[in-house]
Formats: sequence, C-alpha cells, structure tokens
Amino acid sequence: MYSKKISVKNPTGLHARPASDFVAAAAEYKSSVTLKRAGEDDEYNAKSIVMLLALGLEQGEEAILTAEGDDETEAVEVLASLVERFAE
Amino acid sequence: MKLFGNPVSRGIVIGEVMRYEPFKAVPSSSRIGEAEVDASLELYDKAIGMAMAELEETRSGLAERAPDKAKILAAHAEMLSDPVINDEVRRAVRSDLIPADAALAMVFDKYSDLLGKSKNAAMRERASDLQDVKNRILRCWAGRREKNLSLLDRPVIVVCGDLYPSDTVSLDRNNVLGIIARTGGSTSHTAIIARGYEIPAVLGVPDCMERLNDGDIVVLDAENGEVVIAPDDEERAACEVRASQVVTELREMEQWRCVKPVTRDGRRIWVGMNIADINDEELEHAAYSDGSGLFRTEFVHICRAGMPSEDEQYRIYRRALEAFGGKPVLMRTVDIGGDKQMERFGLPKEDNPFLGLRGLRLCFAQPELFAAQIRAALRASVHGDLRIMLPMVGSMEEIERAGAFITEQGALLDARGMDWNREVEIGIMIEIPSMALIADMAARKVDFASIGTNDLCQYLNAADRLNSAVESCYQEYHPAMFRIIGNVARAFAAAGKSVSICGEMAGDPLAIPALIGLGIEKLSMNAASIAQAKRVICGLDMSAVSELAREVQNLETASEVRELLQSFAASRAKRGGKAQA
Repeated sequence: MYSKKISVKNPTGLHARPASDFVAAAAEYKSSVTLKRAGEDDEYNAKSIVMLLALGLEQGEEAILTAEGDDETEAVEVLASLVERFAE
Repeated sequence: MKLFGNPVSRGIVIGEVMRYEPFKAVPSSSRIGEAEVDASLELYDKAIGMAMAELEETRSGLAERAPDKAKILAAHAEMLSDPVINDEVRRAVRSDLIPADAALAMVFDKYSDLLGKSKNAAMRERASDLQDVKNRILRCWAGRREKNLSLLDRPVIVVCGDLYPSDTVSLDRNNVLGIIARTGGSTSHTAIIARGYEIPAVLGVPDCMERLNDGDIVVLDAENGEVVIAPDDEERAACEVRASQVVTELREMEQWRCVKPVTRDGRRIWVGMNIADINDEELEHAAYSDGSGLFRTEFVHICRAGMPSEDEQYRIYRRALEAFGGKPVLMRTVDIGGDKQMERFGLPKEDNPFLGLRGLRLCFAQPELFAAQIRAALRASVHGDLRIMLPMVGSMEEIERAGAFITEQGALLDARGMDWNREVEIGIMIEIPSMALIADMAARKVDFASIGTNDLCQYLNAADRLNSAVESCYQEYHPAMFRIIGNVARAFAAAGKSVSICGEMAGDPLAIPALIGLGIEKLSMNAASIAQAKRVICGLDMSAVSELAREVQNLETASEVRELLQSFAASRAKRGGKAQA
C-alpha cells in the first residue's frame, strides 16, 4: 500500500471535468485506488466518477490518495501530479 | 376522420406521425430464484451494452453540431460504466436476489439522492444526470428504442402528451413539420416555442395519443385547429392549395416587419422582441425590433450541462446586448420553478409549484446562483442598454431586498476592479396580482415594469395554465385582466415610469388595440408575431382604442370581450393598407 497527501488547488474543486480526467487516469492502473478527505475515515473508490462526485472535494481541501497493488507507487505519483496540474 | 384542438401556431402541413412519449420504467418488484441470477445479470450486461452503444452513436452525431450536448453524453457514458455502481448492482442481484432492473434502479436512486443533497449546485445537478442514465438503461432493458426530438432522420409531425422545456430546447427544427399535443393552451411552453420557431401546432387535442400511430399520414391544419387522419386524394389536394395560400399570406405579412409601428394619428408604439436562445437565428431579428422587452435567461441555464459560470453568462449577455446595438434589452433574471425544470436544480417536488419557490423567491433561496447572474449582468451592462428585470415579485420588501442584493454584487465587482454601469435600470415583472394592485407604490421604487400576462392571467383567474382541465377558466380576455392592466398602466404613467407587456397577449392581434387603449405603449413579443402586430398598430387611432379599452373593462364575460375585439379587428381590416417602410 502506498499513500500520499494531495491538496485541491483548482477553483472548481475535484468535480466536473477534473473529476472525469482523474477517473480516466485512475482506471489505467491495476491497483485499487482510493481517496479520503484528510481527517475523515470514509474511503472512496477513485475509479468511480459517482464516488468522486459524492466525495465532492472543493478548492482548498486536502485528501489522502492511496493505491494498493502491483503498480501502486506509480499510480499514486502520477495521479497526485495530475491533481497538481489541474491548478495550472 | 378528424381531430380538433386549439390552433396556436399558424400553418398547414401534411406529413408522417411520430409519437413522442417519454419512456416510463416500471422495474420488476418480485424477487428471483438463485437459478435466475445469471440470466438476470446477463440481461443487465446486455442493457448496459445497448445503452453504451446508443450513447456513442448519439454523441458522435452531435460532436460538431452541438458540442455542449455531446459533453453531457460523455459524462453519461462515464456514469454508465462506473465500477462502484456496477459492483453494487451485481451484489444486490447475487446476494439479495433482486432482479437486476430493480437493483440498478435502487443503486442509481441511492446515489442520485446522495448527490441531490449536496451543498454544491453543480453537484446537485449531476443527480438528474444519474436519473437520465438510469432511465436509459431501463429503457434498453425493456427493449425500447430511444425517441429523441433533437435528432430526427426525416421530417415528421410530432404527436405527444406535452412537451417540456428540455424537449423543446433541443428540438430538431428542420425536421419537425408540426406539433400535435394532448395538453396545452395558447400560453403553454409548447405553444410559445412553436410560434417562436414558426412550426404549425394544434394543441389540446384530447385523444391524439390514442388515435394516432407512428407512420400515419395526417394533415395538420393549424389555421382551423384540425387534424385530418389518412386524408384521401381530394383532402390532400385541398391541403396543398391552402398550405400554399397560407405561405403567401405569411410572406405578405413579412413585409410589415420593417415598418415603423406608428398609429394613424402618429403615436409611436415600441415593439420589442422576446429572446431566449441567443443564437444567430434568433438575433437576426433584432434589426427590425425596438429592443428586447423580455430576455428569458433561464433558457441559457436549461440548455447547458452545468450551471453556466459568471464568465460564460457575461459573454452570453454581452452578445445579446451587442446584437441589439444600444437598443434596450430587459434581462429577466432566472425564472425557474413552476414546473419540471426544478429537477435539474435538485429541489424537492412541490404540491403547487406555480405557487411555490420560483422566480425571485428561488433566487433568494439560492443566492449563489443569483449572485453569479447579477454580477454577469452588471459586467455586461457596459456593452449596451441592459436593464435588470426581476420576476415573480409579490411585495415591496422583495423589491427592497433584491435592490440591496444587486448593490452588494456591484460592490463586489468594484472590489475586483471591474467596470459596470452604475446607472443600470432595475425593474420588475408584474404578474402577481398583489403587485398589480399596489402598482402605484411599486412605481415609486423601481425604474420600470413589464406585465407578464401569462402568469398574471393564471394567478388572477386561479387557473393553472398547464392544466387542460381548467383551460376554460384561464381567460386572457377576462374583463378583470383589462382592468388590472389598466390599473398598472395608469400608476406607472402617473409616476412617469415606463411600463410594457411581454406576455403572449402583447403579440395577440386581437388584444393589441385594447392594450394600447389602456395606455400600454410598449409591447414585446416573439419574432414571429412582430409583422402582424405592426400591421395592426398601423391601422389604429388613439381615440378609437381608448374607447375600445373603456368598453372591454365594462363587459361581463370573456366571450363578450372576444366578440368585441373581433368585430373591432374586422372593422380595421376592411380599411386595409399597405406596408410602408
């Protein structure tokens, strides 16, 4: 299992277009990928657009990105940098 | 055989029937046995596969024509293949022995409820997307093909129970020859859209769905309010002759479009155009109108996938203003509610939606939405003569509150260093009778008013304008309508403030003389009604219309009023006259 803290910087938060891009990218990995809001326990399947919408991360929030499986490190690193890039 | 109804949009056409009825899913309610699990899941996979294929096909057809719609469908495809939803459905089938159609309905409902409760407006809207996807899968499960008015492969006459705004915004105008509907009077959405698009329509045909089948050939005669089923050769020939007569008549009428609307004794009447779509087709008519007396901004919201951002709205409003090149544009702030549109905003269903949270009331309840619109409007105000018009105002407090809200948003723009017109006029729609009765007080507070006769009529007569059972109670020619309009006109004239009419009555050739007689000198209507309205205006004398206005207020019934208006119109028509630019 490999985790990393991410913070959402783009004004629209992690829904709409960014959420779609994130889910599409997460689906590329064999590992299971989850997100949870920093300080909370509920884990959300990050390959599911519906779960990501339900999580509803807004600008300025922090979340823990976790992957578990053969390609867990790569999954977390690539997805974390994707979130960074949303802010640009 | 013939069917009869209200002709609400002129023309005569012959064509093939396409029944349009939204699919209503009824998922199975019984449990299944262990042995049926695999079969049920197989059906589920098949339905998902069909739904995906449909989405892909529609999306590729729309990619260039309507990128906005294509984007929504792409989001739907994502939801369709969502792994969490799929897993949950499978689990419910395997372990709880729920048939897959019922299971998927349950899972989609669960998540759509969850999103519907979100604080974020954009997220709540996704709840209705989930419902759309659910209905698509269930329809595929039932083996029913999609029927969609936005993509037709041949010209048809649409036969339906009713059309909703969401159906009409995407209407494939080139292939809808005509519309026949069970419900709907002359002020229903369907009627307004049909007239706007110049599509012949006969509404209020009670048994049209029972009598008409896909592929039937019918003559739709929206001059006389008749539908002829399976016309014989003679009837077809007669239809073609009359259809071409109507086309000639309408073409002659068009020459009046560019005429200056002045009465015979020299009173200039302001004739504006109602707008909603803000596309080239609509805005080309701006040239021969005096401005827009009603810009229905909610259509901008209904058309789009997500709530349009402040910037996006600013661009749309600016485009509208520039198209009118300095002529006034009365921008009505979002008037959502009253009907189905509520679902998009994830708001609870109401027992009496027309008496519920709509218009300005909804704006106060959703300040985020209202604030973005006001800021966008104020920013656009430097590009033309924009005026802000508030819908569904019922009290002086609401005027006060909205004024303060607008001032606040202006201050926010100042803080951002953005330019806006500080002199922007703020006015109200008068459609709630309470406001019409204290019009003198309102006139002291606001810069202008516009009478929305459609809603005013339904509130004054206590008759839901979409309920065909009370259609006879919805009386636009009720003497009380003329009395109340006269009251508003007098109050605003006394205060030296402008008052106009923007409801369907403004474009009604029978009503126009009486309205002008009551002191209304500004009328705003669908582009399609302008030529005829100008022709009527050019035949009027102020003294005659004042007398007419006095008389209609003292008749006892709507039918007496109609008769008088008809005989007045007939006496003017005899005098004739040619269009002079």
